[in-house]
Amino acid sequence: MKDFLRQNGILLLVIAFLLSVLIGALSLVMGGQADPLSNIVNTVTAPVRGGIAAAADWVEGVYGYVFHYGEMDRELKDLRAQVRELEEKERQWEEAIRENEQLRQLLDLQARRRDLTFETAKVTARSTSNWESTLTLSKGSGDGIEAGDCVITETGVLVGVVAETGLNWSTVSTVINTDTEMGGIVNRTFSAGVLEGDFALMNQGKLKLNYLPEGAQLVSGDEVLTSGRGDMFPSGLPVGQVEGVFTDPSGQTRYAVIVPAVKLDSLIEVFVIKDFEIVE
Amino acid sequence: MTRRDFIHKWFVYALGLLPVWVLDAYILPRYPLFGAVVPMLLPLAAAAVAVLEGAYAGTGFGMAVGLLWELAYPGGFGGQVFFLALAGMAMGAVSQYALSQSFPGCLICSAGVLGLLDCLRVARMLFINAAGLSDLLQVAVPEFLWSLAWTPLVWLLFRAIYNRVGGTKLA
Repeated sequence: MKDFLRQNGILLLVIAFLLSVLIGALSLVMGGQADPLSNIVNTVTAPVRGGIAAAADWVEGVYGYVFHYGEMDRELKDLRAQVRELEEKERQWEEAIRENEQLRQLLDLQARRRDLTFETAKVTARSTSNWESTLTLSKGSGDGIEAGDCVITETGVLVGVVAETGLNWSTVSTVINTDTEMGGIVNRTFSAGVLEGDFALMNQGKLKLNYLPEGAQLVSGDEVLTSGRGDMFPSGLPVGQVEGVFTDPSGQTRYAVIVPAVKLDSLIEVFVIKDFEIVE
Repeated sequence: MTRRDFIHKWFVYALGLLPVWVLDAYILPRYPLFGAVVPMLLPLAAAAVAVLEGAYAGTGFGMAVGLLWELAYPGGFGGQVFFLALAGMAMGAVSQYALSQSFPGCLICSAGVLGLLDCLRVARMLFINAAGLSDLLQVAVPEFLWSLAWTPLVWLLFRAIYNRVGGTKLA
């Protein structure tokens, strides 16, 4: 056995073991920052990742144009109808905002201010494993992005939270990933709970709103937003819609299954919230 | 084999690993099978080279593949380097002494390493109580089968490299 190991790379095995320990220790010590070795590899390969993502997006675009023209045409008509509807709603909102300002002045209340600082980034890679749901972005600590920053779409829908940052790249743990844990609130009933990733639901592209209050009367289609509790994440970011309400196997708590509003497999560009301040 | 031949040989193997890595990391995750499963190609590359080149080279190539897996993919914790080096050594030895340096041998070794990887992942998830066994198997089994289906392609690639520069051909 000794001779076999000596002839068949025991020294290489020892080196592999030491490298494993080194990488593990560095990952532990660095926390949300990528360890130096990963940082170098991912920084060097970032242009390759970006190039492949751009090429694949272009090919998908051409394919969609050629083979889904009718579908795109229908979608365009639907979107035009939605824009008209939204323009009408915007007119109503502007009126409501004016009225809100007047009422605040009347009651001598300070205006509610929500300051968010954004950084745009491209999605250059998607989950490489079936055991987690992540995205790789084209920007990192060099652009001021830090672990724990929220990532949203152009319409403000929550995509996930930055899990690890390198110099010019970062990894986002999406809303459906098993390590997601943040405060959530149902917009219609103001029922608060904890948004959590669940392994079984992750593979269906969904997540949980756990620990719902006993009297919460949720219906399918209710909108769920981030609650901002703990001041770790901004409040009011749309997460998704309630699909159904279930009781935990223990029978003690109820939870809602949430269908995220974000389409993770078609994301191209996202916005990282680098800083936020909400003043009531 | 001179040092130059040695470097030339392993440079060509590294070039062979490149398309496998690009496919595994950047192309296939965009198009998951049935909207859910993406295959693991890197262990197949380690298996193919270990079967073709034997235990010693299998250990080294396994270590290199493990390093690539840890450093270029998100969420690494170091274990893959040692695991794939050990697996490379075991697969090389098994193919040298028990199986043959052929496609069936590679298929058996690939099934072994993929099965072991999935078993370890399932055990870890069960240990941390992340999900039930049936939920975990719903991911592990399709992942295992879908990954294994890529073995012929990876084998053909590395077999072609072996035919040009493998073994002591450059000597």
